[in-house]
Amino acid sequence: MTFDKIFFAFVIVLALTLNLGFVVGDIANIAHHNRYELFASLVVSLVATVMKFGDRSQLGSTMLATSLVADLQLMAAAAFWAYATLDGSYPSVHDTVTIVSLAMGALAANVISVVLLIIETASLRR
Amino acid sequence: MIGPDGRAQHGVFILLRRLRVPLVLLIVSYSVAIAGFTVVTGYTPEGRPWQMSFFHAVYFVSFLGTTIGLGEIPYPFSDAQRLWALLSIYTTVLAWLYGIGAVFSTLQDPLFRRILHENRAFSGVRRMREPFYLICGYDDSGTLVARELAEAGVRTVVVDKNPERVDAVEVDQLRQQVPALVADASDPRALTLAGIANGRCAGVVALTGDDSINVNIALAARLLNPKSEVICAARWHHKQPEMAAVGADHIINPFDTFAERLVLALQAPSLHIIYEALTIQNANAMGTPRILPHGRWIVCGHGPFGRTVRRHLEKAGIQVIVMEEHADDDLPDGSVAGSPTRAETWRAARVETADGVVVCGPDDTENLTACLTARKLNADVFLAVRQNERRNSPMFRAAPVDLSVLSGYIVAAEVLRIIRAPQLSYFMRLARQQKEEWAHNLLMSMREHIGDDTVESWSVTMDREEAPAVVAALRSGRVVRVGDVMSAPDNRDLRLSAVPLLLQRANEKVLLPGDEEVLAEGDRLLLCGREVATSRMRWTVRDDTVLAYVLDGIASNRRVPWPALPPLPPGSNC
Repeated sequence: MTFDKIFFAFVIVLALTLNLGFVVGDIANIAHHNRYELFASLVVSLVATVMKFGDRSQLGSTMLATSLVADLQLMAAAAFWAYATLDGSYPSVHDTVTIVSLAMGALAANVISVVLLIIETASLRR
Repeated sequence: MIGPDGRAQHGVFILLRRLRVPLVLLIVSYSVAIAGFTVVTGYTPEGRPWQMSFFHAVYFVSFLGTTIGLGEIPYPFSDAQRLWALLSIYTTVLAWLYGIGAVFSTLQDPLFRRILHENRAFSGVRRMREPFYLICGYDDSGTLVARELAEAGVRTVVVDKNPERVDAVEVDQLRQQVPALVADASDPRALTLAGIANGRCAGVVALTGDDSINVNIALAARLLNPKSEVICAARWHHKQPEMAAVGADHIINPFDTFAERLVLALQAPSLHIIYEALTIQNANAMGTPRILPHGRWIVCGHGPFGRTVRRHLEKAGIQVIVMEEHADDDLPDGSVAGSPTRAETWRAARVETADGVVVCGPDDTENLTACLTARKLNADVFLAVRQNERRNSPMFRAAPVDLSVLSGYIVAAEVLRIIRAPQLSYFMRLARQQKEEWAHNLLMSMREHIGDDTVESWSVTMDREEAPAVVAALRSGRVVRVGDVMSAPDNRDLRLSAVPLLLQRANEKVLLPGDEEVLAEGDRLLLCGREVATSRMRWTVRDDTVLAYVLDGIASNRRVPWPALPPLPPGSNC
């Protein structure tokens, strides 16, 4: 057990949990979705991407790819939110649905990421 | 750090792995700063409290972190916001400094630079579209081989352990782009990276100066690329069987080569002239042989070179006296012990009455001193000296010696001969086994047919590409003889000014084939002659009408398209 490995797994799982927390709720109601949670999941997702850099194994490359997908989706959601509320208003129902569904896509990528992490851990020979 | 599959690793992954910590720090410091600005309360000019949106926070922190500083927007900050901005400035700027520092230290890192270097060499090899030769070792002989091959338009790749020599590849300004790799040539992974297993690798030249490493290279070449031609330089005789066993196609021992030519000049002066005429550019067959004295020779130094020379001279029946400073077990009787730089030693070897001296030491300064000492005692003796380093050439040219031998040069000349004219070196090997009388007859025949023109040598393969007319005639059941293709294409009673040297078939070699020799498809014919004969002969073997004329005397209705040549006087050779 090393600090590195704990941190690695921690970041990947945290990215999933934060993402899930943001997505849960009525897809059309912005009051169910916290902007800080989206910000946090984006930041943690970026950190997770950096942690996966430089692993040339097949599993490592797939994990990096899923992370990049999650980053892209979350960034799109955040950018869309910022764009939709440039005049200081709240996002409309349509905007909300777009933001949350983009984040849901990221959730799928994060789930794959965690599954890969579990596979890697399980296939480790002790 | 070459991977086990002989591929270069990707530098970008190493860079990213090294930058993990600084990147995480950068992301964290930015996100904390951004999140903070969305929380801290400010006041509008009207006094209403407000908080930054994420959009504004990202905007502000972005120019704050990069120290661009566009000011407090959209409203002047409250003190709380200023405090947070102050903290943010220091953390983000420090994170940047750390990150940039990490990038530079990784770029300067020897490991990273090595990976970049390997990547450059690897992609250089992969981009090769023509057949290339892999040269292992870039000292004197490697340099010469690379330069000559580049001049001839042949692509090469260089591997050497010494970074300075590899740098020299760039400085030498070769005609062609030459990928160069700093690596241990005894490491198969390095050779794989340099393209030994590449389908375009036509040959591997092992010139590392270390026989064991050369054996390794030959073995790797044979196993990883069975089709390639393996040329191996050897210093020690006991390593040569090993090289042959691992499958080296050509083994070059510069000492043997030199000693053989020395003995050739002594024993078969005619063959020596043929040798020179065929191998030296712009040489003809009219040279008078330099008569080397047969009497008593002194071999100074009993290293690998001295031993080889001594053995060859003794085999030729010449009395040899060995001079050696350090006694060893197999010194022949009558050897003189002592330093070759002192006159007493030379007197003890009776240099005053000797006919030839070969100085074979491994040190150039000592060799030159020995030459000067010997020359002082005997002004007429034939003096041959071994040169070890190419950079000493000016001194050797100025020294009072008759012949200086640079082993790197001999190796390079042999390698080039093998690569450029493979059939010729085979012919030379066969010719060396013949008697002086045979060589004399050949020399006379060369003089008769070629005269005092420069001698060129060329090969013609009787296949569909090089000789379609001959192949067509053979397939239709005609008999084509060597004499037929040797006739002049415009007057079949005359002969081309060329001499056929060797006819090579799958399992038969005919030395100096006669005119009656019958050609078969796939034969390779080696000839020497005037340069003009090359193209005339190629015309005969290519063109159906010309071949029909030389075979049957059927004059074609096609005009001979040679306005440039003057009409031939009757009875002359063409």
